Amino acid sequence: MLGVIIERIGLAVFALVFISVVVFAGLEAMPGDACTVHLGRESTPTSLASCRERMGLNRPAAERFVEWSKHLATGDLGVSMQRNKPISEIVGWRLRNTLVLSAVAALIGIPLAIFLGVVSGLKRDGPIDVIVSGIAIFAMTVPEFISGTLLILIFSVSLGWMSGVVMIGYKAPVLELIGASLLPAATLTLILTAHILRMVRSSVIEVMQSDFVLMARLKGVPYRQLVWRHIVPNSLLPAISVIGLTAAWLLGGVVIVESVFNYPGLGRLAVDAVGDQDLPLVQAIALLFGVIYILTNLGADLMALVLNPRLRTMRG
Amino acid sequence: MNIGFFTRLFATSLVSALVAVGSAQAEKVFRRANDLSFGGKESLDPISANRFYEVNDMIYSRLIRLDDQGNPAPELAESWTPNDTATEWTLKLRGGVKFHDGSGFDAGDVKYTLERINDPKLESPLASVLGIIKSVEAVDGQTVKIVLSTPHAGLPLLLYDYRVRVIPEGSGGTIEKSGIGTGPFKLDTYDPEGKTVLVANKDYWEGPPKLDRVEYTAIPDAEARNQAMLGGQLDYNSLTRDQEAMFKGNASFTVQAFPAGGWFGIAFLADVAPLTDPRVRKAIRMAVDRQEMLKLMTGADNGEVTCDSPVKKNDPFRADIACPPDIEGAKKLLAEAGHPDGIDIEVNTADLEPGMVQYAEVYQQQAAKAGIRVKINLAPSDGYWDDVWMKKNAVTSWGQRPADQILNEAYRTGASWNESHFASSKFDGLLDQARSSLDPAAAKSFYVEAQKMLFEEGGTFIAYHENGRRVLSSKVSGMPALDEDYVRWHLVDIAE
Repeated sequence: MLGVIIERIGLAVFALVFISVVVFAGLEAMPGDACTVHLGRESTPTSLASCRERMGLNRPAAERFVEWSKHLATGDLGVSMQRNKPISEIVGWRLRNTLVLSAVAALIGIPLAIFLGVVSGLKRDGPIDVIVSGIAIFAMTVPEFISGTLLILIFSVSLGWMSGVVMIGYKAPVLELIGASLLPAATLTLILTAHILRMVRSSVIEVMQSDFVLMARLKGVPYRQLVWRHIVPNSLLPAISVIGLTAAWLLGGVVIVESVFNYPGLGRLAVDAVGDQDLPLVQAIALLFGVIYILTNLGADLMALVLNPRLRTMRG
Repeated sequence: MNIGFFTRLFATSLVSALVAVGSAQAEKVFRRANDLSFGGKESLDPISANRFYEVNDMIYSRLIRLDDQGNPAPELAESWTPNDTATEWTLKLRGGVKFHDGSGFDAGDVKYTLERINDPKLESPLASVLGIIKSVEAVDGQTVKIVLSTPHAGLPLLLYDYRVRVIPEGSGGTIEKSGIGTGPFKLDTYDPEGKTVLVANKDYWEGPPKLDRVEYTAIPDAEARNQAMLGGQLDYNSLTRDQEAMFKGNASFTVQAFPAGGWFGIAFLADVAPLTDPRVRKAIRMAVDRQEMLKLMTGADNGEVTCDSPVKKNDPFRADIACPPDIEGAKKLLAEAGHPDGIDIEVNTADLEPGMVQYAEVYQQQAAKAGIRVKINLAPSDGYWDDVWMKKNAVTSWGQRPADQILNEAYRTGASWNESHFASSKFDGLLDQARSSLDPAAAKSFYVEAQKMLFEEGGTFIAYHENGRRVLSSKVSGMPALDEDYVRWHLVDIAE
């Protein structure tokens, strides 16, 4: 089992290195460089030269990549061009805010998805299943910027129950953030729930048709015990990696949801950085998203390994 | 311990909620957004390239403002008199005005503010406008003498620039964050990425403001700003044409349209054949039905047609020329210039701002009527201003500027933003004459002549100036339907 874990971690590290090369090379392949992009219409030969000097863009790409990687290894993400501050300082608060938002979405969404998935799996093709699955497919297909805007229009503009657009700064205390994140989290939850519940549902259906459930039924296990002891635990195992994938996939949704709701997180920062033509910051955020994606998947993989004895013994 | 924590938390939030309720009744708060266009580097220094424009308007005063007719009117300067050659201007300053920190305003502050603009270390964009100020002398506490390096009869209009805001003497190192001025509101909290708060300056020289507080929330996304407006979280926001429909006809909002000076244009390079011939340059512009173009681009009545003049409608020096579409005339000019079968020209554009690509497309349709075959080249947005603009025929986008400023910045021979490479010593001479004419009527005649020249010979095509738009909560009063330069913020009020 140790061998499998080491293998997974090794693969994650490899993916990380690969992402950093791609992110760096992507920037190099663009026309111009960070300075021409940043200065845009206002650039003069002198300002361009001094910017390149300041950002160290006069040296060969390979040399800069080595230095950039060295800094990354020590947690130094470089300096933002627009904000003129260390990127780690800018990104830190936003990362916290995005984690708060994702946590709220996950804490509501994952239990809800498991519950609904189990219920609709057990009542396959019944009216509950049809309704739940129908809504899920609908929620999956509506893009976040539409569902988010609709939620604002319904709950903020029409009903006036809560404020729609987040009006607090990025350094706000966590409790305030949680309060402000309800609508954006609900938008994320819609999609998150839909994806996971579909997976749980089909997994429940599969388990219900397996031999051991048939055996349990034949030997007279009460229905409630059958569901909670046999069906649910066995159908959740395959769902774990899907939950991991979906949580990582949420990051893409975060970029849109945060912009729609003006939520001061990493996603909105990414959009701002692109708008400000702040390439070092864009680069750092792209890398961060990559790291989060890999870590979430690694976590899900490892959890599945721990919980599923069959995966453990498959190799090594 | 946990229980204690939550009890305390509950108690404090209850108390703060009560305080909030108590003060909400007493305070008139005006909520607006800042668009975070400088990513948090927003500076309260009025001459900074990253100036925090949403805030600076409310906390500083100018020396000279414009009245509703667009003529210079007193603000911190009560009067201004030139010498016979317009090389020296004497300004009498208002007495009894105090800065937000309680210090008195006098001639020393004006000398400091104006001389600072041309400090090469600061690299202020304003230096390109007021570089003609050679020195400023504090004659006495209430009088300054401005010495110019070249005659300029239009100095009052230059001083009206939105960036000429008086700051306390010697405050250059701190003004970026302190924001100390003489305006109707004073800074309480500076946080361009979160919430910036202003409070009323009760000692404001024109009388205390009607609002108690102004709160700015950073909302970079234009759609999010609209949602916040719709949800009643903001009292004021600017609008684009497409967004107008969301608010029109809703009793909770007032939508205002006002003449504004921004424009799209197409800068044709006047030094590349066949456009080296002024007849060709005129032909490619005169064929266009500008009224139709305005209608297609902005919807009817949402702007003012212009005959390639960058000067906006309510500028005192605007030339009123008529330029109805003249397709036959254009064909004739082309034939005379040796192009009886029409010509081929290329226009570059990029999807940088909404409308920039359509502008070229509508022009293409219009020009085709006179046998002008336009090839549109969609350039990448990145590097457009670097690699395309000023180097090829290109769609351009400008914000409003006073007549003297824009004519000198973008049309004078060799000017750094001369996007059409237009070069005419006659045109430059007209601008010089205008600057040395102390009689405003004479000055106007030179500026008008210069604008007519642009229609006859210039390289830049400008069809119209589009109106600005804003939406207000219907509780807001005291805001005229004019651009922000004319808003007297101390008169703006909000009903409870």
